Amino acid sequence: MGNLRSLVVKEIKELIRDPKILLGVVLMPLIMYPIMGSAMNISQQSMMRAMASASFAIYNEDEGAVVDSFLEYIYTDNTVHTIEAGSLEDAIVAFQDTNASTLLYIREGYSDNVTQGVKANLKLYANLKSLTIVETESPNAVSGLINIYSYYLSISKIEGYIAESGGVAEPDSIRSPIRTTSASIIKGNVLEVAPSAIFSLVMNQSITLPMMTMLTLVFAIQMAATSIALEKEEKTLETLMTLPVGRMTILSGKLAGSIVVSIFGAIASMAGFGYYMNSAFAFAPEMTSMTTEGFSLGLKPFGVALVGLNIFITLISALALAICLSVFSDSVRGAQSLTGILFIPIFIPALILMFSDITMLPPTMQWILLAIPYTHSILASKAAFLGNYSAAIGNIAYITVFTVVVLYIAARIFSTERILTSRFTLDGIRNLLRRR
Amino acid sequence: MDDAIEVEALVKHFGSVEALKGASFSVKDREIFGLIGPNGAGKTTALRILSTLISPTAGYAKVFGLDVVKEPVKIREMISYLPEEAGAYQNLSGHEYLEFMAEFYDNGDRSAVDMLEEGKYISGLEERLNDRVKGYSKGMKRRLLLARALMMKPRLAILDEPTSGLDVLHAVHVRQTIRDYVDKQGVTTLISSHNMLEVEYLCHRVALIDEGVIIAVGTPSELMDKFSAENLEEAFMEATKLG
Repeated sequence: MGNLRSLVVKEIKELIRDPKILLGVVLMPLIMYPIMGSAMNISQQSMMRAMASASFAIYNEDEGAVVDSFLEYIYTDNTVHTIEAGSLEDAIVAFQDTNASTLLYIREGYSDNVTQGVKANLKLYANLKSLTIVETESPNAVSGLINIYSYYLSISKIEGYIAESGGVAEPDSIRSPIRTTSASIIKGNVLEVAPSAIFSLVMNQSITLPMMTMLTLVFAIQMAATSIALEKEEKTLETLMTLPVGRMTILSGKLAGSIVVSIFGAIASMAGFGYYMNSAFAFAPEMTSMTTEGFSLGLKPFGVALVGLNIFITLISALALAICLSVFSDSVRGAQSLTGILFIPIFIPALILMFSDITMLPPTMQWILLAIPYTHSILASKAAFLGNYSAAIGNIAYITVFTVVVLYIAARIFSTERILTSRFTLDGIRNLLRRR
Repeated sequence: MDDAIEVEALVKHFGSVEALKGASFSVKDREIFGLIGPNGAGKTTALRILSTLISPTAGYAKVFGLDVVKEPVKIREMISYLPEEAGAYQNLSGHEYLEFMAEFYDNGDRSAVDMLEEGKYISGLEERLNDRVKGYSKGMKRRLLLARALMMKPRLAILDEPTSGLDVLHAVHVRQTIRDYVDKQGVTTLISSHNMLEVEYLCHRVALIDEGVIIAVGTPSELMDKFSAENLEEAFMEATKLG
């Protein structure tokens, strides 16, 4: 145990004191995510301010009596530019000289149509100067105003008709005779919450879990690749291999040192990511204040234990795999390029499963994804989150079997001269396969 | 007395390259033995086999009677190996490096603290041991590594090109340290070098190796007599001509 402790302490010192590791793995997430969050918050707030203060223009061709009440409604509490022009074409030209994003065009005959019970047509022109969200959303804000006016106008007309006919009815029920409400059933419990609200919340979790798994694995792989490659690059590996300590202890020391540092990295990322979520969505408090407890979702203690076990085993397998690959390189840069291959089976399932459930995919795609061990890491976390513990255990069992196989290969490489003599060449790979 | 090292018909292939083609030699206990030859002669390969880093393709090598293939762990407890291009952990201080290495040899006989003190003395780096290795010159690194190799008083020290690439001052310090320390502690030492003068100065006996084969073994004076040479360099030239 003393030798293992010495090796782990040495690994941690070497990795933490390396400015590239310290900056890239621990400090960057702590700096980068908050900056990203603040930037997103600033841009969202400016967008909301811009939308709130968005002005629009009106070009009115109607001279009837009814349009006046509509104009009075529109002018109240809004910044409206009135366009005076001889034709619609001239009005559009004049509109483009204003700072308004939307032009509301009221055709001649609006009042007559409203009075005669015929649909009155209005038209909105959006001036897309820089194709920003504010510009594209601006007509929606005007539409919203019009829809409210339209609703009360229709209610008022219905009330008139009811009074004329002498009947008794609710004007709103005549306007919308059918009302639909939604509820959700989760694990047999009926919840009076629309599925879309739950989806928003679960979506937040389903993005966070794969992303955290992905980030942790990326850090771990970088750690392990750097750890072995540094030994080769700095010519310390030969000395290490002649020490009176078992090769398995050396391998364990490398794995443990890399795990400790990558856990620091993951904690830094989670802290940074948490700050990012809070600051980026500060404009929409419901995004951050909604909890899963009311929906019988979320991690119970057993689920937390399963997620922890899942992350630990996944880490070990990623580290062992990175060690196996980095053995074939003489330099840190070479090892990181080689282990970059591993990001493919990590990123692909993470990205796919962020936005869809595996059962929604075509069968072939499902089998391909299920063959990738890191798919099971994400599925296990999701299953634990949803309380499907048996599924989570099945996923963890798969990744465990894979980890044992990878560890065996890493142990074989460490126990022979391959760790010193293997190089990433076609001949080398051929020889390695032949010897095995 | 048994030989400290016994190498018999040693062959090593790296793919299609034949680095050793049946090399045989032996080293007596407490002897300083030199393996000399040009670059690519097979010196480092022989040393790496004896250090249990790589396995021979054929033949055998024994260290204090133990086979390097069958009992590598026991052999590692008795030896220390200084590779030619060895480095130290850049982000550790010299002191931390020696301390880290000493912990592996801490046993009932000698504590890591004693070994660390010995290492500090051998290195002669004094206050600079508190600095990180990344700030050391090549000569300072070599002195640190030599201290690491000798501080645990191994039964066998295997030193590959111990002064390669060093300036005169550091090379003299390293040679003096090897000679004084080995004499005082009675450590069997196997040195490889292509610096014939160094070997002549340090070694009791020498083996000349060329193209993976031992072509002559003897004391420096025996070899010079045998090949009617004034120094080992000339003896080596004559030997390769004859071979």
